[in-house]
Amino acid sequence: MTRLARFAPGLRAYAVIYLLFLYLPVLLIPLFSFSEGTVVAFPISGFTFKWYGQLATQDTLLQSLVNSAIVGAGTAVLSTSLGLFAARAYIRHDFPGRRASEGLVMLPLVTPVIIVASAMLALFLLIGLRPSLLTVILGHTFLTVPFAVSILKSAFEEFDPSLEEAAYDLGESVWGTFRRVTLPIVAPGIVSSLLVTFTVSFDEFVLAFFLSGDQPTLPVYIWSQIRFPAKLPNTLALGSLLLGFSVLLLIAAEFFRRKSRNAIAKVKG
Amino acid sequence: MTLESDRSGVFLAMPATVYVGLLVAAPLGVLVMYSFWTQTYVDIDRTFTWENYRAAFSDPLVRQLLVRSVWMAGLVTLLTVLLAYPIAYFVAFRARRKMLWLLLITIPFWISYLLRVFAWKLILGFNGLLNSGLASLGLINEPLDFLLYNELAVIITLAHAWAPFAILPIYVSLQKIDRSLLEAATDLGCGKLGRFLRVTLPLTVPGIIASCLIIFIPTVGDYVTPALVGGSDGKMVANLIQVYFGSANNWPLGATLSLMTMVSVGAVAISFVALVRGAGKAIR
Amino acid sequence: MTGNTIIELIDVEKHFRSFVALSNFSLDLKEGEFFSLVGPSGCGKTTALRIIAGFQEPTSGVIRIGGQDMRAIPANRRPTNMVFQSYAIFPHLNVADNVGFGLAKSGLSRAERKQRIGEALEMVALDGLQRRNAHELSGGQRQRVALARALVMRPKVLLLDEPLSALDKNMRESMQFELRRLQQSIGITFVMVTHDQYEAMTMSDRIGVMFDGRLEQVDAPSALYAFPANPKVASFIGGMNFLPATLLNERNATLSIEIAGLGSLDIGMNPGVTRHERDLLVGLRPEQLYIGRDAPTDYDVTAQGTVTDIAFYGESVRYHVQINGVPEPVSVSVPNYFHTVDFKRGDAVWIAAQGASVIDLGTRSDNEPTKQERKV
Repeated sequence: MTRLARFAPGLRAYAVIYLLFLYLPVLLIPLFSFSEGTVVAFPISGFTFKWYGQLATQDTLLQSLVNSAIVGAGTAVLSTSLGLFAARAYIRHDFPGRRASEGLVMLPLVTPVIIVASAMLALFLLIGLRPSLLTVILGHTFLTVPFAVSILKSAFEEFDPSLEEAAYDLGESVWGTFRRVTLPIVAPGIVSSLLVTFTVSFDEFVLAFFLSGDQPTLPVYIWSQIRFPAKLPNTLALGSLLLGFSVLLLIAAEFFRRKSRNAIAKVKG
Repeated sequence: MTLESDRSGVFLAMPATVYVGLLVAAPLGVLVMYSFWTQTYVDIDRTFTWENYRAAFSDPLVRQLLVRSVWMAGLVTLLTVLLAYPIAYFVAFRARRKMLWLLLITIPFWISYLLRVFAWKLILGFNGLLNSGLASLGLINEPLDFLLYNELAVIITLAHAWAPFAILPIYVSLQKIDRSLLEAATDLGCGKLGRFLRVTLPLTVPGIIASCLIIFIPTVGDYVTPALVGGSDGKMVANLIQVYFGSANNWPLGATLSLMTMVSVGAVAISFVALVRGAGKAIR
Repeated sequence: MTGNTIIELIDVEKHFRSFVALSNFSLDLKEGEFFSLVGPSGCGKTTALRIIAGFQEPTSGVIRIGGQDMRAIPANRRPTNMVFQSYAIFPHLNVADNVGFGLAKSGLSRAERKQRIGEALEMVALDGLQRRNAHELSGGQRQRVALARALVMRPKVLLLDEPLSALDKNMRESMQFELRRLQQSIGITFVMVTHDQYEAMTMSDRIGVMFDGRLEQVDAPSALYAFPANPKVASFIGGMNFLPATLLNERNATLSIEIAGLGSLDIGMNPGVTRHERDLLVGLRPEQLYIGRDAPTDYDVTAQGTVTDIAFYGESVRYHVQINGVPEPVSVSVPNYFHTVDFKRGDAVWIAAQGASVIDLGTRSDNEPTKQERKV
């Protein structure tokens, strides 16, 4: 491998340039969050922490953050539960219509969101469901089920079915087997499904824009700020904070993953 | 092979299938219904009519936007996959610390999508990073005004936004390649290029198809990017759909447009997959 | 050593959609015996084991354990425990928690449980490794943990699904003796599934040989070797030459026959097969044939032939010898004893056999061996 690596200077240079392309726009956000000017444009004027300092007083912004957290959590729990059952069915069982069901569940991944959004709005209004955080959760669950299913499918694929049989054989009930064996073993898959679906929902804009009514989520709030910037620097500050937070979360998740691999947690019966 | 019979598999798969199935079928059904109704100021006239389809087909703007959306989505897909393939190849075959590279590639996408698109505005804008940079280097006197608010800006922004969705599936399919296949190709007399074209590339076709579909289909219906950096030249069909569902308040026409978009996307995607598979068979 | 019936399977059938995994399967297992089900992969032996364990329901038929009908009793309430092929060691638990897994509902106190776990681990020579994590165990240790985990439940019957197949050759051989010793010291019934006939022969009191969902023969290893019920069993348990023969005379338990190309001799009658025509099939074990440069005097039949192929196994050498009048080359296996035999391809040799080592396989047309079975 080391020999090979030395022979790819061109590829490596390309990779570095590509990374610059990926990071350039992303780095501008934290950069401007420290700029003193209210209008976000070049040249950058001065250096300040005031946009961060003001965050605590931005009621609408904070409310949208709370809304997004609620939607993200609801979506994560719902789609991960649906995904858990479905993934288990797909890996452990063979039944008529399995492939059709697997295909259908993946469909949201390749459906233009604008169509989903307009169609769901029309449907919800027709059945008398007013746009609210609930409708956003229902829509986001639809969008994130494919992610949950694929993550949990790979968790079940690595899971030797005779482990469950062994527990059952040793006298455990079906529920006890699930609690003492299945759950602890697929736990990393469940956590990563929760994280991914939360993240996708947290960042989703179009569906939330159509379905949130008068309870904007964070992306909907950001959208209004980008178009009619009144508090844009605050938004940039929040975005930068969230980025930092996500990176920390990512590092923490990786840390725990390694730790759990080395010293597997005990589950007492 | 497990504790339960096959029947319990059906029950386990039921909630997700029914949920997704319902949320695909029911809204689509509603869209189809709406597309045969008419908007009369504040009310909906529920008598059956083909009028919306007639109006949509005869409207040159609709045709233009649909064609442009498909065309731009195709360009974005092509560009993103072309740019991404070498990176995926590098990480899979050449990089020493694969996980670090994958992490570095995904981190930028943990910041709000909207802010990322907005950042491109800051780069490509009239007083943007690019223009200021070029001006301070003395390369230009007047700021370039063709950078923002056009198709090019939309394509660059989307190629950036979709990067991980292209890199990851291709990386996975490269990673899956049994390294002894490559040694076998060399052993049988393939040069580096021949080995890539005759072994590596064909084996990554599933990954490439997955990336293409994951990028192309949502891009045709993308709303945010054209609205923010597209200007009037870069508008796409989703913007028109949003107008009908929003300010223009003509849901029947919006529904018709949504369905037409969906059919076009489906047709293009299916013919693309068929074409690639056919080409693959022809080569073999 | 063996006593009353502990497991009864009566006319068990198992169908997976159109595939018949078990057909007309009846079996009695005795208390305290080491029983093996052996057969090629896909023959239904694992299905039979899983039906005893309760992981699969028979399509029809009865299964009783200790006289009690098991059809309504799920796997978690049966007096059987299983050692899985993959061992199924819980990766999130350490050795002690793995072994103590099934004791959680036993109502035992913590100290009692700890003692039972210690005893079980002592039985498999792993005492002291209680706190070891699952992923720190070697293959042999994993197998011992799986054994201890099942034995700690004090089952009436221990089920073992290919327990040695994941081990390397040396480990496998020493575990064969250890499993046998363990079974004898505990005294409960062991039912083992294996595809390896030698493993089954060395360990078992009785063996059931299975093909295509059917139990072809159940017998002690020595009886299977001496009196196989048909060519399938004959070729699965050790190597076998199949030769056509003609029945000349039948008297008491002795048959006078003529083997084409070899001559006529008297052989013992196989009680497990039928003879209703003069055309018989007989089997000759490669290791029970004489081969030499000179014709021996004290054998029942002798014939001259030519060496066509040689395979060197280390402990033995196997020669294929073409004999005039015998349709296919006869395989002869000779212990590699002080290198006393050393023939080359093309050498002229003498082959000889005793009547006592020729196996009567009954009427030839009843059981024409297939091409594959004829290979030895």
